[in-house]
Amino acid sequence: MNIKGKIIGGSFNKVIIRQKQEENIQLGELLVSGKEKILLQVYDLTYASQLSQQNLELISGMQLEKNADVDFFEQELRNYTLAFAKNLVQLQSNKVSLCKELPLFFSDVREIAKEDFSMLRNPEKRLRIGKLRSGNKIIDLEIVLDGEKTFSEHILIVSSTGKGKSNLTSCLLYDSIDKEYCGILILDPHDEYYGRNKLGLKNHAMKDKVHYYTPYNPPAGAYSLRIHISTLKPSHFNGIVSWSDPQKEAIYSYYKQHKEQWIEALLLSKNKDDENKDYHEMTLAVVRRKLMQILDLKVKDQQVSSQGIFDMDSGKTTVGDVCNKLEKSCKVIIDTSLFSSNVEILLGSLFATEIFSRYKRYKIDGILETKPVISVVIEEAPRVLGKEMAQIGNIFSTIAREGRKFKVGLLAITQIPSQIPREILANMNTKIILGIEMAPERQAIIESSAQDLSDDNRTIASLDKGEAIISSTFLKFATPVKIPFFDDIAQQKRLDFYSNTTINNNINNNQHNIQRHFGGVKNSIAAYDEKTKPTQ
Amino acid sequence: MKFAHMSDVHIGSWRDSKMRDISTNAFVKAIDMCIEMQVDFILISGDLFNTSLPTIDRLKIVVEKLQEVKKKNIAVYVIAGSHDFSPSGKTMLDVIESAELFVNVVKGFVKEEKLHLSFTVDNKTGAKITGMLGKKGMLDKYYYQALSLDELEKEDGFKIFMFHTAITEFKPSELELMDSTPLSYFPKGFNYYAGGHVHYIFQNKPEKYGLFTYPGALFPNNFRELEKYKCGGFYIYENDTVTYHPVMIYDVVSFEFDCEDKTVEEVHSFVLQELNKNNVKDKIATLRFWGKLLHGKASDIDFRLLFQQLYERGAYFIMKNITRLTSKEFISVITDLGNNKNIEESIIDENIGNLNDPFFDGEEKRATLQLLQLLSAEKLEGERSVDFDERIKKDILSVLPERLKERI
Repeated sequence: MNIKGKIIGGSFNKVIIRQKQEENIQLGELLVSGKEKILLQVYDLTYASQLSQQNLELISGMQLEKNADVDFFEQELRNYTLAFAKNLVQLQSNKVSLCKELPLFFSDVREIAKEDFSMLRNPEKRLRIGKLRSGNKIIDLEIVLDGEKTFSEHILIVSSTGKGKSNLTSCLLYDSIDKEYCGILILDPHDEYYGRNKLGLKNHAMKDKVHYYTPYNPPAGAYSLRIHISTLKPSHFNGIVSWSDPQKEAIYSYYKQHKEQWIEALLLSKNKDDENKDYHEMTLAVVRRKLMQILDLKVKDQQVSSQGIFDMDSGKTTVGDVCNKLEKSCKVIIDTSLFSSNVEILLGSLFATEIFSRYKRYKIDGILETKPVISVVIEEAPRVLGKEMAQIGNIFSTIAREGRKFKVGLLAITQIPSQIPREILANMNTKIILGIEMAPERQAIIESSAQDLSDDNRTIASLDKGEAIISSTFLKFATPVKIPFFDDIAQQKRLDFYSNTTINNNINNNQHNIQRHFGGVKNSIAAYDEKTKPTQ
Repeated sequence: MKFAHMSDVHIGSWRDSKMRDISTNAFVKAIDMCIEMQVDFILISGDLFNTSLPTIDRLKIVVEKLQEVKKKNIAVYVIAGSHDFSPSGKTMLDVIESAELFVNVVKGFVKEEKLHLSFTVDNKTGAKITGMLGKKGMLDKYYYQALSLDELEKEDGFKIFMFHTAITEFKPSELELMDSTPLSYFPKGFNYYAGGHVHYIFQNKPEKYGLFTYPGALFPNNFRELEKYKCGGFYIYENDTVTYHPVMIYDVVSFEFDCEDKTVEEVHSFVLQELNKNNVKDKIATLRFWGKLLHGKASDIDFRLLFQQLYERGAYFIMKNITRLTSKEFISVITDLGNNKNIEESIIDENIGNLNDPFFDGEEKRATLQLLQLLSAEKLEGERSVDFDERIKKDILSVLPERLKERI
């Protein structure tokens, strides 16, 4: 293994390394020091020279202005690079422990290798994120988290536009499809994860575990997204519609009186004196208008009719069906690309509330441990977890605070973590940080990370597409990773990121199944054909 | 064009012979109504019979009725439902179709893993009819997954698609746990989608599709259905308009008794009082009891005496339901897990620790579920026993963990 430099000074969080001339130390690179095997990470680089600044300026002037043929004598000894690194962990023979000592003074540092982590054992319930990255180099070591804990204790994905948020999310979801320990609800505002017209989760070998709900022209096997209005409760509108106190009282009163028919009763209550006596007609008129607007309903001839996904006839079991699928470890995608933000959040609220209340019940019944963890994927998270929302309170902020006790977590995606209150950010125990250009956003995430990232401001800013840092309570140090390119995985129809062995068996089994059942159809149809010729 | 659409006749259902007679009579009456209304043809969307091999006397009645409609030049088109198949795939429908009393419209061929359905054309009206059979345990899902939609959608004319499955988007809330098929598996652009299997009355016209209808059972098939619907019925389609026609054989009168905190004697007294207020002559009476008795058990209530009194007053048939009636002395544990799969999963979850076999490598639940599914496989038509055995063995080996396979 290559020696990359020598420790020549510094302090615990600022170990100074003199780079070996022909070696190239990169920002974010992982280095291992001498025999004590302390893992160091480079967070800054600087030039250094034995010559004084005055002499350097003079020599450069002679070269530039006088075209003088002058050069350094034994340049490799006189000019070099200094790298500043921080102590991460100590790699012991049987474990990785937090580092509490300095590496030996003047000891060599070398590049990291897969073998340095040979003591690591993967958790049983795996969630693969990517491969270990050292600067730009990819180490052949999968970074695997305990999926059940990671999902239940929330994941936050932070990145600027174009740095690979969607790719990372697709990879995480793809890897989780065959995992029985989790069900995932994906609210997809860009209709990108299923892969209606491109590669997506539908390309997975176990696509039966992926369910896709869309309001528009569902492809074969997908579901039309319809929600019967009787499944809506007043609490679902929290944080979505701002009700005044009298309006709130009115809707809760209608709910109490009419139960599942409360919306219909409220919309048809106009000119019904007996029902309106407790509330001012103006109050009810505003409530009606707001409800009709958000639910896309119309009232004509004392009949409520639906214009959108909130339906009067169909979709009675949609919420239940989705939750049942999630409980069976399926991944459910809700295409919300055609909805306003409010409707999207209302939908999310509807599903999340049902799941959360079910899981609370399971905990009381003592059967929660038999259930898979449920994660809810929300894009542009500040819309539901933002500072304003935290004050009003909604199901998502409740899940962020209490969800892990009930095995319900969030996978929140955002470009602007600074909009999310600190206490909620602190509850997100795993943060996957992709490149962030804006300093305030970097600061917000650095301040709330599981590990000390105060020296990594520059490293985060310099993360290229597909490069990430994972800061998690389930990792000993903020780990640099390289996220695989989703299309590569999906194209090869791998069962997971890095293996393609199980998949073939799976495909064969599926085909065998279909073939077997087809046999039955074929025979029975052939029998019918023989007996009865078509009348045409 | 005028046609009738009925479904889930379930001839031969109900354990009690008096009730069984009604389900047959409902069919006879429905056919008479169709003849009277001069329909061009009749659609039966599955589960004509309650079992694949109905009794001779029931069969005779059905055959005679079908002969009668045939003489009136009214064609009958059917599809097989989940109750119409025996475990080996046999169905009485084949026999009746051979006698040319109706036409099974599930016709087509399998090519390159796709199922291509063909149309049966009604001679009188030119209506083009096709459909998909229903099978127990949602085995029909494989047919839907493989269904070639293009040619069905491109066909012009008045098209009818018959089916026998629950549609996910249209399921009623009480059937949330019922297996179902997404709407997207159905071909678009048909004029009428004649549904069966789900016992509820429903119409809906989704975008890009024609009218989907479920007429429900022709006669209620259990206590709850009797309570809720009182009778069955069928649809008549005429010039783009659909009307529901109930088939009433006997009136149904339903009673609910709240027994919460009552003694057995109190229950007796107030039930009798309530029943005496109502006319039950020539009616079917359903009696539902619920609540927790103050003392005594449900079995302490003398239902025989209550029934006797009602029969003396001329009731046709009396049924009771005490599933929600409990006692403070003994509270039965009611496990409402919905379908078999949930029950299986629950039992596996409860007992998984007992297996404790290192060879399963933590895959006990998955392997057990897969094994259960594999072991419920049926012998295919024409498949030799030895091939069947071999296939099952091979399938079982494929789901076992590697280490366990090595041990075997």
